[in-house]
Amino acid sequence: MSLAELKLPDYREQLPEVAARFRRISQREVILRVDDLKKSFGANGSEHIVFNNVSLNIHRREFICVIGPSGCGKSTFIRIIAGLDECSGGTVLLDNHDVSGPGPDRGMVFQGYTLFPWLTVKRNVMFGLEMRGKSHVTAEAEARQWLDMVGLAKFEDLYPHELSGGMKQRVAIARALANEPRILIMDEPFAALDAQTRCQMQAYLLQIWKKVDVTILFITHDLDEAAYLADRILVMGSNPGRVVEFIENPVPRPRSAAQFISPEFLSLKKRLEELIHPPVETGEEEKLPMIKLTVAGDEVE
Amino acid sequence: MPVAGKNNHDWLGLKKELSPRRQLQLTVLSFVLPLAAWALVSYVPFLWHPLVRVTSAGDVDYFIEDMEVPRAQFEQENAKMRAQNMTPAEGMRVNPVYFPPPHAVARAFYTAFKTPPRLPNEPWLHESLGHSIRTICWGFVISSIFGVPLGVLCGTYRFFARLQEPFVEFFRYLPAPAFGALCVAILGIDDPPKIAIIFIGTFFQQVLVIANTVRKVDPALIEAAQTLGASRLKLLFKVIIPASITDIYTDMRILLGWAWTYLIVAEVVGTMSGITFFINQQARYRNFDNVYAAIAMIGIIGFSTDLFLAWLGTVMFPWKRRRASVLRKKRSWFPPLWPEAIAPVSDEEKPNMQADVAR
Ligand SMILES: Nc1ncnc2c1ncn2[C@@H]1O[C@H](COP(=O)(O)OP(=O)(O)O)[C@@H](O)[C@H]1O
Ligand SMILES: [Mg+2]
Repeated sequence: MSLAELKLPDYREQLPEVAARFRRISQREVILRVDDLKKSFGANGSEHIVFNNVSLNIHRREFICVIGPSGCGKSTFIRIIAGLDECSGGTVLLDNHDVSGPGPDRGMVFQGYTLFPWLTVKRNVMFGLEMRGKSHVTAEAEARQWLDMVGLAKFEDLYPHELSGGMKQRVAIARALANEPRILIMDEPFAALDAQTRCQMQAYLLQIWKKVDVTILFITHDLDEAAYLADRILVMGSNPGRVVEFIENPVPRPRSAAQFISPEFLSLKKRLEELIHPPVETGEEEKLPMIKLTVAGDEVE
Repeated sequence: MPVAGKNNHDWLGLKKELSPRRQLQLTVLSFVLPLAAWALVSYVPFLWHPLVRVTSAGDVDYFIEDMEVPRAQFEQENAKMRAQNMTPAEGMRVNPVYFPPPHAVARAFYTAFKTPPRLPNEPWLHESLGHSIRTICWGFVISSIFGVPLGVLCGTYRFFARLQEPFVEFFRYLPAPAFGALCVAILGIDDPPKIAIIFIGTFFQQVLVIANTVRKVDPALIEAAQTLGASRLKLLFKVIIPASITDIYTDMRILLGWAWTYLIVAEVVGTMSGITFFINQQARYRNFDNVYAAIAMIGIIGFSTDLFLAWLGTVMFPWKRRRASVLRKKRSWFPPLWPEAIAPVSDEEKPNMQADVAR
């Protein structure tokens, strides 16, 4: 039996404690305000629009997941927020300040590990601290604390190539968090890990997020991951990229793997699947290439 | 058949790393095989040996002892003698003087250093070698002082790349030896023109090769550093240079090898000097064993310098060291001499220089 046939509550129904939580969150200050953001490539004549009309507010200490079909502009969107790309229109305000260029107030964790191979684990974590002018001693002490938090204190003197994928990504998280950014941006950080490590990392990330005052913007293409981690899920569509829906996650916290079969989880997942893989009229999809072939053949004749 | 056992006997596994022991065996073999071929041709009398050294002249009137004649001529004369019932000459088959046997060259390795020069103002072998090494070092160091920073700048900033590279690309095609006469006219006949030739031969390649290496730095590392708050200057010194330093080092090792090629050209410019002078002089005296010893000496110096630099690289860049276990606690500062150090430049790290430069 598929998810679509299951009888489930509406994904917008929230338990009282979940609704209360969202009310509390919405009263917190807005950290990130994105207004009518647009990104396109090329000149006006042959403009390729990656996405437009993207607007959203993110509150302090929220955990936001972004999902959407590949190529809809998720990476481009967060790269603009990180300051690594420039937008073609609209505004991005972080703490009511325009973002221009990358800065330490927006930490970033990439899918590829991007640890500096020539620095030991500890020196990697110290990198941002030293860039901001902290003394070696202070930076070292702080780096040790962050490594403790991600459980890698023992490995501080190893080089990145000596670590497993999951460990590398934990170092990358520690390195980003050491700068105490206002918002932590993560672009499919666990996509390259095997399923088991990924589950562990998700649990780690939630633990870390509980301990640290940080807002997280997390891109994934894994619906379970989004449903497990997020407070709210930003669903993007493609051609051109746009916000389809900003869903409040009805699954109560604290989260656990046991909730994967709870009605809230399943109803949310059902909704996400509807949005990401909209049902297609059967037949239409298969016919299309056939028509093309005949047409091509006719031309040849 | 157990799979492990099978692997153990698979010398020709495609793309399969051989065990260090086997690599050592093959390395030794790679030297032993050509040596064995040389020894065969030198010591087995019926292989090649186109000349006959006369041991007793017999009745051949123009033969004298120790004279070397082609085999055909020797047979011809002896046939003549036998026909006239006279005593034929005796001799033994030898190789030409320019093809000395291994033991003679091996002896020359030692004696060449011990033999004083024939003329009082000629240099000893070690002096010649020292002179050559000095020339190459000066040329390479001066080239690197300018070439490395310029290469890094060109690789980092489009501005410098556009400003420098077209000219450098053009100049690279001018063969360094072509500047010989000019260098002598400007710099005199002693060492400066030789150093200049090595400089010209190295510098332009160096700029292009290093610029290309620096351009290959993973942009994701630069972005990561930017999101960590690195400023422009910090990006250059804390990210771009450390990220490319190992590849630059490898480039430098290869460029140093190229500089040796220019050395021989450079040394005939002006007054002939260094090892080239020694080789020339010995060839003139027909001491071919010394000639071979001197040529081999260049190879040995070049090869061992590269081995040393490879080993030094593993000391300076510990993050490039392959270590057996992730969880190995005890780490030695002193890296193993084997097998990393022996591989002059391993396949994966050897950049395709010509292609790189051409791009
Ligand atoms: N430099 C570029 N020039 C033109 N189009 C680009 C460029 N970079 C990205 N794009 C386009 O932007 C779209 C979104 O890419 P991306 O943000 O990586 O998608 P996602 O991360 O959602 O898979 C892609 O369809 C791609 O074609
Ligand atoms: Mg992406």
